[in-house]
Amino acid sequence: MAEVILRQLTKHFGSVEAVQDVTLRIPDGEFLVLLGPSGCGKSTILRLIAGLEDATGGEILIDGELINFQDPTKRNVAMVFQNYALYPHMTVYKNVAFPLETARMGKAEVAEAVQRAAEMLEIEALLKRLPEQLSGGQRQRVALARAIVRQPLVFLMDEPLSNLDAQLRLQTRFELMGLHERLGITTIYVTHDQVEAMTMGQRIAVMRHGRIQQMGDPTEVYDVPANTFVATFLGAPPMNLVEGSLVRDNGQVSFRFEGYELAVDPATAGIAPDVLADATGEAQLGVRPEHLTLASPDAEGLPGVVRFLEPVGSDLFVSVNVAGRPVQVRMPPETRVSTGANVRLAFDPARSHLFGADAQNLRA
Amino acid sequence: MTTVDVAPQTASEDWAAPILSDAEYRWRARRYRFRTVRRAAGFLSPYLIIWGVFLAVPAVWGVFLSFNQGGLIRGDPRVFVGFDNWSRTLSDSELRTAVRNTSIYVVIAIGVVFTLAIFLASLLNHYRKGSNFFKVALYFPLLAPPILGALMWFFMVNFDFGILNLLKRGIFGGDGIRFLGDNPHALLTIVAVEVWRGLGFWVLFYLAGLQSVPEELQAAAKVDGAGKWRRFRRVTVPTLRPLLLFALVIAVIFNFQLFDSVQVLTDGGPRLGTATVVWFIHKRLFKFQDTGLAYASSVGMLIVVLILTGLSFWLLGKRRQREA
Amino acid sequence: MTESTATDVGADMTDDDVITDGPTDLAAPDAPDAPPPSEAAAMAARLAEAGRAKRISDRSRKVVAYVILSLFVVIAIGPAFYLISPAFRDSVSLFTYPPEWIPSEPTLENYRFLFSSTSYVRWAINTLIFAGSTTLLTLVTNSMAGYAFARLRFPGRNLLFFVILATLMVPVAAVLAPTYLTVNTIGDWPVIGDWIDIDTYLGLILPSAVSPLGVFMMRQFIETLPDGLYEAARLDGAGEWRIFTKIVLPLIKPALVVLGIFVFMLTWASYLWPLVAATDNEFRVLTVGIASLKGQFVTDWGILAAASLLTIVPVTIIFLFFQKWFVQASMAGALKQ
Ligand SMILES: Nc1ncnc2c1ncn2[C@@H]1O[C@H](COP(=O)(O)OP(=O)(O)OP(=O)(O)O)[C@@H](O)[C@H]1O
Ligand SMILES: [Mg+2]
Repeated sequence: MAEVILRQLTKHFGSVEAVQDVTLRIPDGEFLVLLGPSGCGKSTILRLIAGLEDATGGEILIDGELINFQDPTKRNVAMVFQNYALYPHMTVYKNVAFPLETARMGKAEVAEAVQRAAEMLEIEALLKRLPEQLSGGQRQRVALARAIVRQPLVFLMDEPLSNLDAQLRLQTRFELMGLHERLGITTIYVTHDQVEAMTMGQRIAVMRHGRIQQMGDPTEVYDVPANTFVATFLGAPPMNLVEGSLVRDNGQVSFRFEGYELAVDPATAGIAPDVLADATGEAQLGVRPEHLTLASPDAEGLPGVVRFLEPVGSDLFVSVNVAGRPVQVRMPPETRVSTGANVRLAFDPARSHLFGADAQNLRA
Repeated sequence: MTTVDVAPQTASEDWAAPILSDAEYRWRARRYRFRTVRRAAGFLSPYLIIWGVFLAVPAVWGVFLSFNQGGLIRGDPRVFVGFDNWSRTLSDSELRTAVRNTSIYVVIAIGVVFTLAIFLASLLNHYRKGSNFFKVALYFPLLAPPILGALMWFFMVNFDFGILNLLKRGIFGGDGIRFLGDNPHALLTIVAVEVWRGLGFWVLFYLAGLQSVPEELQAAAKVDGAGKWRRFRRVTVPTLRPLLLFALVIAVIFNFQLFDSVQVLTDGGPRLGTATVVWFIHKRLFKFQDTGLAYASSVGMLIVVLILTGLSFWLLGKRRQREA
Repeated sequence: MTESTATDVGADMTDDDVITDGPTDLAAPDAPDAPPPSEAAAMAARLAEAGRAKRISDRSRKVVAYVILSLFVVIAIGPAFYLISPAFRDSVSLFTYPPEWIPSEPTLENYRFLFSSTSYVRWAINTLIFAGSTTLLTLVTNSMAGYAFARLRFPGRNLLFFVILATLMVPVAAVLAPTYLTVNTIGDWPVIGDWIDIDTYLGLILPSAVSPLGVFMMRQFIETLPDGLYEAARLDGAGEWRIFTKIVLPLIKPALVVLGIFVFMLTWASYLWPLVAATDNEFRVLTVGIASLKGQFVTDWGILAAASLLTIVPVTIIFLFFQKWFVQASMAGALKQ
């Protein structure tokens, strides 16, 4: 069992707060994805767990043991780097065998373990080569083999796929998932690619400015984003946000913007009535493009004008101008509509979100 | 379904409570950080011990010694003499001669060797064919220890069978030249020997500098119709200038230590005509045993070299900056 | 023939023109109104003549350049050749005039004397021990220190590095007396004094292994290795020593070779320190030994020539095999990496 716990983990580089008060628990065998924009502190968290950086504050536990003050050589975590970091002067065999030889394992045992790892990653044919004689994808596999060969407690992967081309990335993604299933090693996987995060992660932790914004399984995070950042970070095109205000009139709360007023029913919006009652003031309404539909000008809904069409094959993305703001709508590809057309936008209130003045989802 | 696992909310659960007190945490963190000091000490100590015992300590000791007389050999006990040595450095005529000779030597040798080196480097930069052969051949004198280089010239300048005198007598008739036996011939011969020895190094040095002059700059000047000489002055010299200053400083440092060839060819003579500072120090320490003056002049030399070293680093840093 | 070439060129130029926007291309004549064929031929002739004149002056310049270069080559290697004849003849015959370039009675007598009546062999062995150990010691200590400065974080790191670097060019002469005294003093201590003293190998070697140049070089070189390798190795469980020996050292091999050659060349050629630190014939090195062959008042020229020649030949042969490394090493001496 290798459970990883981070408690109020904090890392400052001078005045840069790279990681700020991160608390989370990763159960044994989980595949957790750290997702966030560049510079949000994902790599720093991995490096803190690995011991490549010393924490400014907070505790790191593996299997209930505090490892903050243990040398990285003793932590028994393996990391796969973005640029693989293979030892250029060693053959593939030597690379993979290095951690075992370091652990003073016998020659025969080493050979056997290397063989097993090589088979698992299908690099048996490459064992005699030097890293410079390998393609990017092959190097990736060697790096993985080197990481798994000594059966670490925790696997840390820092954007391991970002140097591969699109096709190889897809293939390796499945292989990584298969590997995780077989080995069952607790894995923390860093990426800023949301598709990778959604497809690979058993749970996702979305980060920004060194803080965890939301953590949960992929559908949860997608369906109920905790705040406007998560809402817009996940999904392409992102969730539409409209700024306005919540007003209360005779016990009826409604969202008002640019002269429009939408009544909010706490039950359908999934918001606790008392929360809603307290939330008057600045607010944002969020609806994902796929939860909006275009209707003819004489139907119910917000009036708008079609600005652009983006057919992407599987879908048709329509950019509609509503009260001077662009709103993205996802429609089936066969939808017939032309730019300049007057349309009405309709949406399901149950699938819309209201964010309060602090940008937090009122639903939560 | 909608339970969102936001960190601060779950912080109340028991797994999230820290186990170490602040004080304990700080103490452990400090001890953990200290491990790198232990490792660094392990890696540094072999060098630091040797450097400390055989360079740093002597350097400091030398300053102390400069206020003393004697103590170098058994039977000559050390006596504290205060500033006596230092005041004598200003009045001792032999030391003054040594400083003057060394300075003359440094100026002429560097002037000649730099001029020749830049000239030959420009030739090699222009005529690339076979340049590798020339580079190797010019480098050759550096292979032999200075002592052996000097001894080779001992044969070349011999009064009776040295080729220079044979040529002189063959062409101009008359008597030979006493290259090492007259002044100022002796010092000039030493200059020649050292120029001969250092030329290859400086040619390679400037060649490397010239080859870092961007081709486009040369080509652009050519297109502008600039003549060879103008091109040299307008393009080559400015790019070499920072290199030149740096080279000058380290050349001064190296050449100020002139000793080996003097010791073996003339032993400072004739009539102190080739006495140099290091020759003077060595002689006073190990032959005439006026150690005090030698102590003080060593320290003087040490100070000059430290200042010049600082200057060279400053120049190097400036060059790096300009390149960046 | 000329015509067709001219039109070909013209055609090419028009093609080029379309792409390159004429005026910027200095070499391109105004293609649209190319000169008529006859005029073009005349122009070509003129150009050819001018070209020939230029080529002649170019060629004579080239000849002069190579003559000058060759002259300097003769000067550079000549003195070594001037030793050959004296080395294989009786010293007395050197003084005949007109000179006898090729000895009429070549003899190996000088070499026989060198090996039987001087300690040449001893000096040569001492030199190898001296320069070899100094080089090895320098390589080990400097690469370790360079690693610490490049990779390990500890308080006072920059200050310490600065202080060490400040001593980069301290001349032997400037610390000759106190170094001599240090070695002498250690020599009086029990046990360790048996090993380190004036007239011991270590007394000769240790003060010759102090230059921080290698530390500086190694630090620069190790810093260029990617951080990832180092971090990967740590996660693979390797401690600093294992990282140093298994990852860093193999990767800085070229720098080690360059430093090694540099230190070896510098050490075996050194004179002043061996002159005062190894006075006993048992520990004397070649430079001091050969210099001592040149007598204060009488010199046996033949033996001097024989010894010098014998000493340079092996170095020259090694040099010719590894010249690229040598040149790099000498440049390293000027802080030029
Ligand atoms: N060694 C360091 N010194 C100073 N600042 C650092 C250091 N390492 C990281 N930072 C800063 O800490 C912040 C977080 O960096 P980190 O590398 O963790 O981001 P990231 O989420 O991995 O980004 P990316 O997706 O671009 O890899 C950034 O602002 C970065 O500039
Ligand atoms: Mg990163």
